[in-house]
Amino acid sequence: MFGKTANYYLIWDFTVSAAVDERQQWILSAMQSHGQELVTMLWRVLGNEQDVCDAYQNTFLQLAHYKGGQKPEHIKAYIFRVAGNTAVSMLRHRIAEKKRLSTAIATRKTALSPANELDSKYLQETLRCYIAQLPEHLRNVIMLRDLAELSYAQIGRILDISTATARVYRCKAIQLLAVWMGKEREEKQC
Amino acid sequence: MLITNKNKRTSFCNKSQNGRSNKCRRIRAWLHKAIINRLGLDANWVQNHIANCSRCNRRLVNVGKVNLALSAMKSQPHKLDLLMRANTQAIGVLKHSLRKTPKAQQLKVIQPEPKLFEKCSKYTPSATNVAACIAILLLMKVGIFSSMDKFQIQGQKVVEQYYVNQVGEDLADEVFSA
Repeated sequence: MFGKTANYYLIWDFTVSAAVDERQQWILSAMQSHGQELVTMLWRVLGNEQDVCDAYQNTFLQLAHYKGGQKPEHIKAYIFRVAGNTAVSMLRHRIAEKKRLSTAIATRKTALSPANELDSKYLQETLRCYIAQLPEHLRNVIMLRDLAELSYAQIGRILDISTATARVYRCKAIQLLAVWMGKEREEKQC
Repeated sequence: MLITNKNKRTSFCNKSQNGRSNKCRRIRAWLHKAIINRLGLDANWVQNHIANCSRCNRRLVNVGKVNLALSAMKSQPHKLDLLMRANTQAIGVLKHSLRKTPKAQQLKVIQPEPKLFEKCSKYTPSATNVAACIAILLLMKVGIFSSMDKFQIQGQKVVEQYYVNQVGEDLADEVFSA
């Protein structure tokens, strides 16, 4: 009797899990349709291939476990927001680690050279550092507009704001980044 | 009957709305152009001001620097197999049954492909040339036919006038009415 119950339980368990897996096929579809854009955005934010893979994996892992395996209403919005947040926390962690490891004098010496000012890698790293410090609403827009290259209409839908608001946020973000970049330059000159 | 009237009213409303939105779009475009011409970075007085104001100069340099850094970030290429590797890593943490699906196997070997717009962008100049040629041909055809009609009417009038002068109005009317 007990054996029979156990068998029924196993069959029930198998059918339930199969149904769940069948329903989770949309994860692979999402990966197929948005994977390329997502990898491009993550690459531009992080600039490191291993970090890109980690952030990508984390994004889809979170998607698979969203409310116990349910499908979010707007998959694209969910994926891009999770990926953006993951990338920024990784970036912040990396910056903190770099600060901890490198001495202040060494950093100052490298930053002082005029060749560095137009050095693409140095510029990119500085900008990444400042993007990570931007307020969330501005950071989201700059990441989706300039790094993921989405249209303002798409950004509006993802962030649940109007197109005009997205434009204003982008403008503000650029202004703030420019001010920070300028301050850094002034500090170097002092 | 009531439904037909309602449909008519709706289509009329749609048409008026479309017309209004077109007008609105035109006004907005015109305003944008006017503002850009007078207040844009290329306006003469702005250029003169920037050349003499150190503060604005610095601001412009900083914005340029941000744009330069963004362009550098965008132009940095990644390896072609990055998408493949990222997919493989992400699929590796999904459920076993999902991992074994044919779609998952496809995703593990997928390569980044340019978008349709990017693919077609190399044909843009030729497509533009073809479109321009077609437009010119159409215009020529329309122009030639309308000129032919005008030419025929004018010619007929001249001949009619000649007949009126030479043989009289009654006879000319008789000839040309037949």
